Amino acid sequence: MKSIVLSGVVAALLVFSGCSSKDPVVDAETQEVEAPAAQEVKAVETETVSSESSVISSGTDSLTMSDIEKQLTSVYFDFDKFNIRADMQEKVTTSAAVANAAASAYSVKLEGNCDEWGSDEYNFALGLKRANAVKKALVAEGVDAARVAMVSYGESNPVCSDKTKDCWAQNRRVDFKLLP
Amino acid sequence: MKLFLSLLMLFSLSFAEDSTIEVIKRVDSLPSIAVEDSSISYDDTFKMRFFKSIVADLNVISIFNVDRHYRETHFNDTNVIVNNKDMNYVLRYKMFEDDNGALNIGIKLLEENKLVLSKNYKVGRKNIYMFISHAIAYDINEFMGEASVAWMKRKVIFSRIIAPKKSEIVIADYTLTYQHTIVKGGFNVFPKWANRAQKSFYYTALDAKIPTLKHVDIKTAKVTNVISSDGMMICSDVSDDGKTLLLTMAKDGQPDVYSYKTNTKKYTRETKYNGIDVNAQFMSKDKMVFISNRLGYPNVFAKRLGSSEVEQMIYYGKSNSACSAHGEYIVYKARESSNAFSANTFNLHLISTKTDFIRRLTATGVNEFPRFSKDGDAIIFIKNYMAQSSIGIIRLKHNKNYLFPLKYGRVQSMDW
Repeated sequence: MKSIVLSGVVAALLVFSGCSSKDPVVDAETQEVEAPAAQEVKAVETETVSSESSVISSGTDSLTMSDIEKQLTSVYFDFDKFNIRADMQEKVTTSAAVANAAASAYSVKLEGNCDEWGSDEYNFALGLKRANAVKKALVAEGVDAARVAMVSYGESNPVCSDKTKDCWAQNRRVDFKLLP
Repeated sequence: MKLFLSLLMLFSLSFAEDSTIEVIKRVDSLPSIAVEDSSISYDDTFKMRFFKSIVADLNVISIFNVDRHYRETHFNDTNVIVNNKDMNYVLRYKMFEDDNGALNIGIKLLEENKLVLSKNYKVGRKNIYMFISHAIAYDINEFMGEASVAWMKRKVIFSRIIAPKKSEIVIADYTLTYQHTIVKGGFNVFPKWANRAQKSFYYTALDAKIPTLKHVDIKTAKVTNVISSDGMMICSDVSDDGKTLLLTMAKDGQPDVYSYKTNTKKYTRETKYNGIDVNAQFMSKDKMVFISNRLGYPNVFAKRLGSSEVEQMIYYGKSNSACSAHGEYIVYKARESSNAFSANTFNLHLISTKTDFIRRLTATGVNEFPRFSKDGDAIIFIKNYMAQSSIGIIRLKHNKNYLFPLKYGRVQSMDW
């Protein structure tokens, strides 16, 4: 009996000594490495798509699918958000016009993307909500909902892999792809 | 007095079993073990490779202080090597190649020069030696009467992103030493074992016009389309009997959790909130936890299958975007900083739904995709830190984390 009681006391002591420390001893080996400071890089100009007039002057009749696709420019989003920003509304309007004119023979696939913060399902859902916001905006501009398909790639389809805020901003986007 | 003591004992015993309480500084009290090699076949490189593997496995079972010196001896010597005479235990093994080229390994576990356990192992090819190493550690752990480490013998399946929109699905041992790429080419994510026996698995194919869930029978390599959904299609969890799947689908662009019966091929919409509901995991046969942003930020909720009542499970943190459950325990991923302009830290936390105690399990980097082992003994997770992707294992009862880095690419998701 004595030994059982003793071991009970010892166990209780162990538990209490365990409680007294606030920080768990984990990952000690990786803690000494300092995270690199985010590099200050000049804002990247993302709107480098050729102007519409130059494309139209080349003759609309002979436009291939990829030529038309280039007129559908990506829509960018804020961190952890899926509403269409005011400065992106014009892009969506332009894309809707292209979708209903030059691209009217094709289906439109919207690809939702996220920055690198998380590979879990929530991030995929965020990408999808972004694609869905663009779809709703396209439909509001008169595009037939049946022509629009969606997919989310989460963080798995980055256009930029640097560790900078501009880079992450470029990855939070919805791309347009045309399907025959 | 007697009553007080027995109450104290009861209290201490009940708390000793609580995984949210940390065990700190137990190293000094662990018995020591040394490893002796008596192999007759194979070159030094392979001998050293196996030795390192067995030492690593003995470390992971967390019940010994493992001596890391490589020493050779004869298999049938009655005494251990002089240097090891003060060790509590000595593991001696002999590797030899038989006429068919198979790798045979015999082991002896000696406790103070007395043979307490002996066993023989065999695999057809020597390049899968790590599975014998895991089996030896598993058997020694069983012999010592410790909580089962059956997860050690299980296989990990994960998707590796090798380029934008390009991935492969890989089957590996838990240390990632053995790796076999089973799905190559294309963009395939979220692999999930279809049954406990790990004979088949599900994954999401994103190349098709609509995301499609596929089922692969490993033995026959037969691939079947299970179900498709516009926008999103993920198999989040599989019930213990393999008959019910928890899926995330997005009919009309609306990500929600669905349950799916594999025999009838019928699905039921489990969540109806018009925001994001994803990442459902079975808590028990008819109850699940999932991630929802119904409060304006991602957090962990629970509900019974078929019922509409939803319960908030976590009351801490402003962004808890992934979780896994085992009995009363929930492990979840919390964002420690909410900043679009600097590196973010995501840590894993363990909570008991009975006591509300919280234990932080990781300290640095981006830690995500936590998954309990089937027996709840360990948690596997993905760690991305300093451009290195690893699979981590947390031994809850021993308060130890182990990291197994990936040589190239980035782990997107995994299951074990």
